[in-house]
Amino acid sequence: MSASLSSARRQEAATGYLFALPYLLLFLVFMVGPMAYGFYISLHEWHILGRQKPFVGLANYRALLADDLFGIAMLNTAYFALLTVIPGNALSLLLAMGLNARIRGETALKTAFYLPVVLSVAVVAIIWRWAYSTEFGWINHYLRLLGLPPAAWLNSPKLAMPSLALMSIWWGAGGQMLIYLAGLRGIPEELYEAAMIDGAGARARFRHVTLPMLRPTLLFCLVMAVIGSSQVFGQSYILTAGGPLYSTLTVALYMYQTGFSLYRLGYACAVAYALFVVVLGITLVQFRLLYARREGEAR
Amino acid sequence: MGGRPRRAMRRLLLYAAMVAAAAFFVAPVFWMVSISLQPENEVFSKAPHWLPREPTLRNYRDLFARAEEAPVARWFANSVIVAGGGTLTYLLIASMAAYAFSRLRFPGREPLFVLVLATLIIPGQVTIIPVFLVLQRLGWFNTYLALIVPGLSGAFGVFLLRQFFLTIPRDLEEAAMLDGCGPAGIYARIILPLAKPALATLAIFSFLGGWNDFLLPLIATNEVEMRTLPVGLTLFLGRYDMQYGMVMAVATVASLPVVLIFLAFQRHIVRGVVLSGIKG
Repeated sequence: MSASLSSARRQEAATGYLFALPYLLLFLVFMVGPMAYGFYISLHEWHILGRQKPFVGLANYRALLADDLFGIAMLNTAYFALLTVIPGNALSLLLAMGLNARIRGETALKTAFYLPVVLSVAVVAIIWRWAYSTEFGWINHYLRLLGLPPAAWLNSPKLAMPSLALMSIWWGAGGQMLIYLAGLRGIPEELYEAAMIDGAGARARFRHVTLPMLRPTLLFCLVMAVIGSSQVFGQSYILTAGGPLYSTLTVALYMYQTGFSLYRLGYACAVAYALFVVVLGITLVQFRLLYARREGEAR
Repeated sequence: MGGRPRRAMRRLLLYAAMVAAAAFFVAPVFWMVSISLQPENEVFSKAPHWLPREPTLRNYRDLFARAEEAPVARWFANSVIVAGGGTLTYLLIASMAAYAFSRLRFPGREPLFVLVLATLIIPGQVTIIPVFLVLQRLGWFNTYLALIVPGLSGAFGVFLLRQFFLTIPRDLEEAAMLDGCGPAGIYARIILPLAKPALATLAIFSFLGGWNDFLLPLIATNEVEMRTLPVGLTLFLGRYDMQYGMVMAVATVASLPVVLIFLAFQRHIVRGVVLSGIKG
C-alpha cells in the first residue's frame, strides 16, 4: 500500500512539474536569467558592437560614483519621488475618504478618478504636452485670465520636473484611491461608533481609528509608489528628453541613453543595478519604520 | 442648534470638492478627444475650445491616409496582436502554473513559489538590457515573439490565480477523482470553469498592460512597421509636431479600446486592484 501511495505521490509531483514547466521556463529565461545576466554584464566593458567584452570587475560601479550625470539623475529621481509619493498618496486617500462618506454618484466619481490610469504613458504625455504648451496651452490661458503670468512649464529647468510630477499624479492617483477605498471599507464601523461615544471629533477619529487601521494599506501604497516613481522613464523620455539642462534626466532615462544611444551596455546595467539596490534599501527602511512604530504603540 | 444646516452645508462642500476633483481627472481626456475633432484653425485659436465649434473627422481621415510614413492601422493591428495574443497565452500558462502551485504537491514547490513572488518587486528596467540581449540572441528582434514572450514571465497573474484557486473546495476535486478524472481533467473541467471571474480580471489587466507597455516595444523593435501604438505615437509626435489635431486623433485611437474595456468591465478592475493591493 505504501508503495502505491508513493507512486501516486510521484505521479502527482511529475504532474505538478509538468503544469508549472511552461511558466517556469519563461520565468527562468526572461526573469531570473536576466537578473543574473544583468549583473554579469555590469562587471564588463560591454559595448553593443564591440567584439571583446573585457571583465572590469566593479570598475563600472566605481565610475558611477564619479559620474556627475548619474548623480544628477539620482537626485532628479529622488526629487520626482518626493514630489509624487506623498502628495499623490495624500490626494488618493482624500479622494477615497470622500467616496467613503456615502456620497451620491459614487460609481461615476470613481470612474472619473480611475480613467487616466488606463491610458498609456505616451497618450498621457501627449495630452499634457499640449496642456503645458507655453503659447497655446489651456493652463497658461487660464493663468492669463486670472491675471497671473504664464509659465514655460516644460521649458524651464525649475518647473519641468514639477510639471512631470503633476502629470504623473494625475495619471496614477486613481489606482491608489481604489486600494485606499478598499482599506477604508475594511475598518469596522463599531470602532468609529465607540470613538464617537468617547467624544472623539472627526480629526481624532482620523488619527486614532482610520490611520492605525489603515497602516498595512498605507505601507503597501507607499512602497509601491516609491518603486514606481524610481522607474520614471516615459514621461521624461517623451516630453523633455531629460532637459532642459538635465533637469528631468532620471536614472531610468540615463540607463536607456547609455545603453541604447551610447551602446555602453555594461555601464547601463551598472546604473540599473545601482538604482535597484537603492530602491530595495529604501523599501526595507519603509517596512522597518512603519512596522516598528506599530510595535512601539502596542507596548 | 444649527447642527442640521451645518451638516448639510458640509455635505454640499464635500460634494462640490469631489465634483471639482472629478473634473480635474476627466478634463484632459475630454480635451484630447475634443482637439482631435477640431479643424486646424480652431486648435490654434487664442482661447481653448473645449467643444469643437465645427467638429470634423478630417484629422482621423488624414491620419490613415499617411500609411507609408506612419502606418497607424498597422500599429493598431500590432497592438491587438501583442495585447490579445499575450493575454490568451499568459492566461493559459499562468493558470497551469497556479494550478500546480495551489493543488499539486511536488518537492521544491514552496521555495519556487517564494522565488516567483519575490520578483514582483523587481522593476522592469533592471532586466530590460539583458532581455534585449536574449531577444537578439534568439533572433526575435522586430518580431511579435519579442513583443509578447518576455511579458509572459510576470509573477502577478500566477500569484492572483493561485490565491483564487486556493479558495476552491477540495471536495469537488475528490469527487472528480473518484469519477476517474486525472489532474488535467480537474484543471480543465473544474478549476478553470470555477475560476472564470479571476480569469476575467486577470485578462483585463493583462490586456491593459500589453496594450500600454512602452519600454519593451521601444527596445525590442526598430522597424516602423513593428511598432505598437504607444511607441508609434511618439514617432508621430516628432514628425507632425504642429498638427496637433492629428496627434490627438492618434492618441484617441490608441486610447479608445482600453477606455471601452475599462467602462465595460469596471467591476472586474476594481476587484483586481483590491486583490492585488490587499494581498500583495
